[in-house]
Amino acid sequence: MEISTCSGAISLSRELENESAKFYQEMSKRFEKDKDLFLGFAKDNAKYVTQIERAYYGVITDAIEGCFAFDLNEEDYRIQATPSKDASYSNALKEALAMEEKILKYYHTAAEQSKHLMADVPRNFTLVAKKRNERVPKLKALLDQAK
Amino acid sequence: MAILEEPIKGVKEVKNYINGEWVGSKGKIVDVVNPATGKVMGKCPISTQEEINAAVEAAKAAFPEWRRTTPLARSRILFRLKGLLEENFEEVSRIQTMEHGKVIDESRGETRRGIENVEVACGIPTLQQGYYSEDIASGIDEWLIPSPLGVFGIIGPYNFPFMIPLWSAPYAVATGNTIVIKPSSEVPFSQMRLAELAEEAGFPPGVWNVVNGGRTVVDGMLEHKDIVGITFVGSTPTGRDVIYKKCGETGKRVIAQCGAKNFMLIMPDCNVKATVPALMTSFFGNAGQRCLAGANLLIVGDDNKFYNSFMEEVVAMSSRIRMGYGLDESIQMGPVRDKEKRDKIIGYIDIGIKEGAKLRLDGRKPKIEGGCPDTCFVGATIFENVTPSMRIGSEEIFGPVMSVFRSKTLEEAIQICNASPFGNGHAIFTQNGRSAREFQYNVASGNVGINIGIVAPVALFPFSGMKDSFFGVLHTQGQEAIRFFTESKVIIQRWF
Repeated sequence: MEISTCSGAISLSRELENESAKFYQEMSKRFEKDKDLFLGFAKDNAKYVTQIERAYYGVITDAIEGCFAFDLNEEDYRIQATPSKDASYSNALKEALAMEEKILKYYHTAAEQSKHLMADVPRNFTLVAKKRNERVPKLKALLDQAK
Repeated sequence: MAILEEPIKGVKEVKNYINGEWVGSKGKIVDVVNPATGKVMGKCPISTQEEINAAVEAAKAAFPEWRRTTPLARSRILFRLKGLLEENFEEVSRIQTMEHGKVIDESRGETRRGIENVEVACGIPTLQQGYYSEDIASGIDEWLIPSPLGVFGIIGPYNFPFMIPLWSAPYAVATGNTIVIKPSSEVPFSQMRLAELAEEAGFPPGVWNVVNGGRTVVDGMLEHKDIVGITFVGSTPTGRDVIYKKCGETGKRVIAQCGAKNFMLIMPDCNVKATVPALMTSFFGNAGQRCLAGANLLIVGDDNKFYNSFMEEVVAMSSRIRMGYGLDESIQMGPVRDKEKRDKIIGYIDIGIKEGAKLRLDGRKPKIEGGCPDTCFVGATIFENVTPSMRIGSEEIFGPVMSVFRSKTLEEAIQICNASPFGNGHAIFTQNGRSAREFQYNVASGNVGINIGIVAPVALFPFSGMKDSFFGVLHTQGQEAIRFFTESKVIIQRWF
């Protein structure tokens, strides 16, 4: 499904954050050693949803291009809500990294497409991407340890 | 992406809100139809003269006590209303989509714009302050008090059922007046919900009243001796020949914000990538049913290569617009309000063809997503080779129809804009500051856009308008609204 509207993009952001939160909650159950980190990620996801929704509901007006700001394909950003069944810790971490890469790509693309049009929304996409990017070295470090 | 849940289930009865009570009407009842689905969602009364009288009487009775309520106390009620509107933001927005047809992003935008007016009016303790001069002559002081006047009538249109009454209502009550709102009978639910929230916020009975109906209610308000002023948004013939004229005859203050035919000027140096989406919102947002919509696209310069490539981008994006029910988040354009309006727009497209304009994109048989009936839908339509003498280039169509003009120079383009009887929201798209300044300085338009397709002032600025787009002196929103809803009492004092 193609996404052109801001409402659609906000819903996709919410879905990505919620689904990836579920992923990390499952990680915390399966790999208890690092559960605090994973639960922290899941908790941060909820904050990102609030941050993005607050930006959107705060600036959306009839005067800006809410219905024409995006050209995204929802299918490009599908993620899995749990690590693969029976995945080893290393493989689950690799899946987490792949998921993060996809979500970062989404935020960067959405921010770039709407930067001239949607006021505070692209700025918040970029801010969330920046914060999420901090997870990548942490996940990579865990992966190195797990090898 | 989701199809959002409808907040109104079944068929809901619309009631009047008079003196703090929800009351039925003895008037004729008309159906309120969701234009996207074709389903009847409500029954709205066309209220009687007695019901108008009752509302005005309640408002008049509430005025002395409300006037004596301190500005800080009035402001606190407005703050509560603002909080309730935020809490109910999504519901209020979805109601607009259901009753009007606009898509959910547009409805949320309308809600936000409405709330902004409540926020500005919350500043009434300072906004309504007067001023004082000591010793204007030896031992004599003089000061001014902005005083409320009494009962105001607020007549809302169908195209922005929630927001437009809020261009006036918060300022009217903040300054100590009382109000009677008449929503359009086609879209009464937004104002019904707003009145419920106003009641919950704590406005005393009689301060905020709603009487539903049509032309008879408008006439009743215009004739009523106890209504001291009217704000109106609607067509130019009604605004000029009925509202403005009648208010003059009956000595009422008036703000009549009316029709438009807005030009969007495209300079060859514009940022095409950002301009084209802005034009989509301008021409086709709200299905073209707004007085700030782009109507005429005027491409400046004789560079045919630029013209052709720009128009290709515009046509390509316009032809991809997804139409359907606005509660589906993938939809970019909803229906127009009803079949009568659709037929009028289709009539204009037929006129354009007869006038000899080139129909580049035909919206008469649009593709509609989600199985909605086509009763109220018109697709994006683009005419090229339009001239100012053509009806499609000069009359307000109020639908998703773009008429494309060309001019050799910016000077000629501004002359074309200024020859229009309307002056509501013209805009220029350019990267050149000098062109932008030439345009804003010379164009006769109350709201002027520079790289902005919908020139809608935020609540702290007046919603301006010139020529046949506005009748009155002061405008709604911001400081001008405060002045409109107060009269200046000047006191000169000497003590012997």
